[in-house]
Amino acid sequence: MVVLVAVGAALPACAGTYLHEPTCGSKDAKALILAAQAVPSATLLPCIAEFPSGWSYDGSRIRSGSAQFWLNSDRAGFHALEVTLTGSCDVSNAVEVTAGANQPGVRVYEEPISLPPTFQVNRYLRFQGGCVTNEFRFAAGASATLALEAQQALSFVSRSVLVERAREDTGLVLCGAEAPPCPG
Amino acid sequence: MVVYFGSVLIGVVFFQPLGGIFDRFDTLRLRWIASLRNDSLTDVMLFVNLLASRWTIRALRWGTIAALVGFRHWRHLFVFLGSMLAAELVAYQISVLLGRSRPFGITIISPWEGYSMPSRPVVGLAASLVGITYALVVPGRPREISKWIVGGLILALVFARLYLAVDHPTDAGFGAIMGVAIPLVAFRWYTPNDVFPVTYRRGKAAHLDVGGKRGEAIRRAVQDQLGYEVLQIKPVGLEGSGGSTPLRLRVGATEDEPEQYLFAKLYAKSHVRADRWYKLGRSILYGALEDETPFQSVRRFVEYEDYTLRLLYDEGLPTPKPYGVVEITPEREYMIVMEFFDGAVEIGDAEIDDAGIDEGLQIVRKMWDVGLAHRDIKPANLMVRDGKVLVIDVFFVQVRPSPWRQAVDLANMMLVLGVKSDAKRVYEHALAAFTEDEIAEAFAAARGVASPTQLRSMLKQDGRDLVGEFRALAPDREPVSIQRWSVRRIIRTVGVLLLALGALLLVLQNWNAFA
Repeated sequence: MVVLVAVGAALPACAGTYLHEPTCGSKDAKALILAAQAVPSATLLPCIAEFPSGWSYDGSRIRSGSAQFWLNSDRAGFHALEVTLTGSCDVSNAVEVTAGANQPGVRVYEEPISLPPTFQVNRYLRFQGGCVTNEFRFAAGASATLALEAQQALSFVSRSVLVERAREDTGLVLCGAEAPPCPG
Repeated sequence: MVVYFGSVLIGVVFFQPLGGIFDRFDTLRLRWIASLRNDSLTDVMLFVNLLASRWTIRALRWGTIAALVGFRHWRHLFVFLGSMLAAELVAYQISVLLGRSRPFGITIISPWEGYSMPSRPVVGLAASLVGITYALVVPGRPREISKWIVGGLILALVFARLYLAVDHPTDAGFGAIMGVAIPLVAFRWYTPNDVFPVTYRRGKAAHLDVGGKRGEAIRRAVQDQLGYEVLQIKPVGLEGSGGSTPLRLRVGATEDEPEQYLFAKLYAKSHVRADRWYKLGRSILYGALEDETPFQSVRRFVEYEDYTLRLLYDEGLPTPKPYGVVEITPEREYMIVMEFFDGAVEIGDAEIDDAGIDEGLQIVRKMWDVGLAHRDIKPANLMVRDGKVLVIDVFFVQVRPSPWRQAVDLANMMLVLGVKSDAKRVYEHALAAFTEDEIAEAFAAARGVASPTQLRSMLKQDGRDLVGEFRALAPDREPVSIQRWSVRRIIRTVGVLLLALGALLLVLQNWNAFA
């Protein structure tokens, strides 16, 4: 009885995480297209290029205004990296760094939260129409160099690629940046 | 409609180009609706869309859960929770499977989350409202009105979400159908109106409403099958009965008999199911104490009671005269009819003298001698009329029972009589019919579950340690264990635990869908 009531209490309404991986260049672009719809102004969408050893994908949460996904690490822990795409982000407490994102037009900022043994850093990647926040939240004792590994996993896909994909698949416009204006 | 949504589902999952066709079709409809957009209408639609906010839905569900707990409508509560859970799980899993984007080619002007098909907010609201209608609103006109209101609210929400272009028409339609269908089927299947109506009168779930169409069916069936005209149907002894609906029938005079009362017990499929669960629970908790094979149909259920009633009556035990079985609805509802002990009172409300004690003990002696056990000796099943002890409710009677079960019958009878007098007096009378060893065996066997709940609570109320007093009077005897281990018990226990674990894992696996 207690369990059922507890389940009833937890009963939803309408949230959820999803398992489709936002993989760069994948034929299955469901998660990326949904992320593009979530932040229509973003000209770039974060995606997973290739997992370094020990890193894995753990789901995404996409809603209007933001798209998030999480990466787990066998050394840095559960949800060691949270990647969030939004239309803009506050970098007032962060410092711009020269280390590039290997993507033209992207400015990178870093905001250290805590240093090892509990490494926690926010890394902001700002570009036209959007911002990606990488929140590194490593387990105690995990090496900060794992952040470099994690960064290798991430890349961007241009919105224009997704606009073209949507047009090919449905003949319709993926509304937002780099697409013709939509009615309504 | 179902074919249409089925084809959307199959098309989108298996044939990508077909998905594109549906997208274009949906977008055309959305653009047409979006052409109506203006500022004030948009404000109204955003307000209507709040119906599907998680806080609205949570409030509706919490309110319903609280009401169902408050009114102790446990069955409806379980079905409500189960159907909400099922609706959310199915909607979530389908949305992941389909992975359908939000509408293309039109500006979305409302917040959203996740994939679009089926529309999970529409599923959530529709399931909640339909669940409320079937869990809380009484059948008849109030429920009909409620259905119209629910339909109106769902339609309003669907239109608002299309206007805001947050869902495709197929998403919202599919969501509405799913949200209505899942609780509707669950409530109609597990809480049919004629068996578990929503009422706000006090009563047990086992007790069926005998008014209306069922009352008419009972009158007609008794007339056709037994030849008695039923003048009145009155539920009696509901507080002491949990496994059937006991009734007193006043029947008109016939050529051979004057106007009289008859006693009847109405059984439905729900009683068979309850018996099945009861036996499963016992076989897990205690093992195969005795025959725990469940009945497979109401017909067999009532046939068995009719048989035991006739058996005891033929053996000369003071049980009601059997009048036969009446079929109310084939394979669904049957009624067993017997003599009504007019003027009899429950033993708990009667005065018992030495003769009464002897009569009670002789009932057990007689059953022992003819190889029977009553298995439900408790105050509610022992009546007294003109100083004579009568025994009723013979459904649990077992032929050729184990010595353990016979011993338990004796202990339970002595405890009932002990409550009405004292242990020493009953023990002395019992020695006239049973040996000291037999009595010692009885109280070694009478432990925990062996005594009916009503008897245990009566003993508790009495305050005296009657079991201890009887044990002190009888020779020493090692307690008889009621735990029986077997391969079947282990398999059943493991099976139930695995099912529970599976259900828990299913919930946990989809926890993110709820959090």
